[in-house]
Amino acid sequence: MITAQQLLERMQKNVGVPWQSQRPDGYSDGILQGSPDTEVKGVATTFTPTLEVLRRAVSSGKNAIICRESPFYSRGERAPLFYRNGPAPSKDVLEKDSVVRAKQDFISQNNIVILRLTENWDARPTDGQLQGLARALGWEKFHSPSNAYPQAYDPRNIYFQLPKTDLGTLARDSKRRMKINAVRVVGDPEAPVGKVALVHGLLLVAEVERILKEPRVDTVVAGDAVEWEAAPYFQDLVTAKRASGLILLGEEASEEPGSGEVAAWLKTFLSELPVEWIPAGEPFWTLSQVGS
Amino acid sequence: MDSGRRTVLDFIPGRQLTMEQTLSRRNFCKLAGSSLVFAPALMRAQSSGRLTAREVVSRIKKNVGVAWRTPTADDFKIGDPDHPITGITTTFMSTFDVLERSVAAGNNFVISHEPTFWSATDVVSDLRDDPLYHQKVDFIRKNNLVVWRFHDHWHAHRPDGIFAGWNRAMGWDQYAVSGANPFSHQYVIPETSFEELARDMQTKLNVRSMRLVGDPKLRVTRVGNGGHYIGQCMALLPNIDVLLVFECREWEAAEYVRDAIAAGQKKALIQLAHENGEEAGMDECARWLKTFVTEVPIKFIPSRDPFWIPA
Repeated sequence: MITAQQLLERMQKNVGVPWQSQRPDGYSDGILQGSPDTEVKGVATTFTPTLEVLRRAVSSGKNAIICRESPFYSRGERAPLFYRNGPAPSKDVLEKDSVVRAKQDFISQNNIVILRLTENWDARPTDGQLQGLARALGWEKFHSPSNAYPQAYDPRNIYFQLPKTDLGTLARDSKRRMKINAVRVVGDPEAPVGKVALVHGLLLVAEVERILKEPRVDTVVAGDAVEWEAAPYFQDLVTAKRASGLILLGEEASEEPGSGEVAAWLKTFLSELPVEWIPAGEPFWTLSQVGS
Repeated sequence: MDSGRRTVLDFIPGRQLTMEQTLSRRNFCKLAGSSLVFAPALMRAQSSGRLTAREVVSRIKKNVGVAWRTPTADDFKIGDPDHPITGITTTFMSTFDVLERSVAAGNNFVISHEPTFWSATDVVSDLRDDPLYHQKVDFIRKNNLVVWRFHDHWHAHRPDGIFAGWNRAMGWDQYAVSGANPFSHQYVIPETSFEELARDMQTKLNVRSMRLVGDPKLRVTRVGNGGHYIGQCMALLPNIDVLLVFECREWEAAEYVRDAIAAGQKKALIQLAHENGEEAGMDECARWLKTFVTEVPIKFIPSRDPFWIPA
């Protein structure tokens, strides 16, 4: 038998970097929901613990959920500024909310433990989120070699030299490979694409500035961008003819493949328990899917 | 993202919060300075008969109907406020493209609802080595453009100028009902399907990047917008069928509504680009300005949905 606390300790021992401890009120890594003494029957990894993911986990006998996001739609009161989190709902609002209550009930009735693994996973010398996303896009063979870093998927080695194409083709191809719908693009579909920077999660202006210091990068593929920050910055880059375009896959879409990498990593030291990646799937659909 | 790569130098999640918390000493001096030079500038404008941006802003302050707040984001962002103006552009976002189109239209004064330099408070200290920043600034200087932001007080105007424009664009003034709080906007529309509502909105607002959560066939009649953040949306959701959000992080409203549906509630979500949610309000602003600025042409230049979705 293994408890949630023992599972957490095993993760801490195997993560390969000094574990950063939990902040007092924020959603930092560790147990977000459930008791540390809970017996773990099986482990599901996912980007975000939606009610649907929790149900699928329970129905296949798994009660420990390892995820990047929190169950209650916020990254917490003390989320770092670069998360661009909105003000978190007050405890009072959360306690009265019918959806929060339904989810909370499901969690306690099924002895679910939710463990967040984000900052410590990202601190590893190999960026599992980047590697998972590159695999999902089929881009591993295009990864620009770099002697500057000890690991191929060093978090800074985000460049891919693709066979020459255009922005529209790349956007359609990415959408098809990732099996997603709500891909948003800034830039002319005909604009040439060669060297691409790949960023999982939220893209910030300071990061685009760093990316463009790398020679010959014409396109960025990322998760999401704030619409008064990196998104208009990219519109302006396109107008100024300094870049071809930006493709936003979505937060979930860009981070979910990394949860597959988390599952693969867990299996290397959790042989006595079933471990399964349960993708949350993108939350959105678009009108073009249903025809007119 | 790897937190190690990110510096916490940059800005703040919420704008209202931001303005109050980050009014720097420099901005404060700028505000104070603008009131000091206000009187001579006004005299100059009157004596030469040539309208300046500063004079237009003073008329806006007189006509907006609410006390001018400090601190506020509504301030000159770049350019000489005392330079004579040739015409006024109102826009949602003073993108490089909108600035070029303004120059082509002969307008050198741009009134923008959103920032010019890609952060909530147009902080430019981190942009000194940024070639795009310099290219945009050079273009502005070369064309004698003046950019002034009109955000806080256009929202504070009654009715909220942004939603007045949005209601007009949708033809929904007749369906507006009083909301749960001053920031929420609620409507009771003739019953339709969620998909039909989405298509109607897509057409009327020229949306290219609409994202939806919920059953396309759901019958809906109560629609509401509560703000950018999930806490605001939670207050509104019990009273509506369709939540409308724009410029909202994916882990907030979209994940909430998908869980609400999984929990058996009949809810749906329309997530629009920020432009589609607010830019009609700057068309409204152009109409309003024309009631008290008659010396120069005034034109709304849409910045448009910045995104497109591949088929």
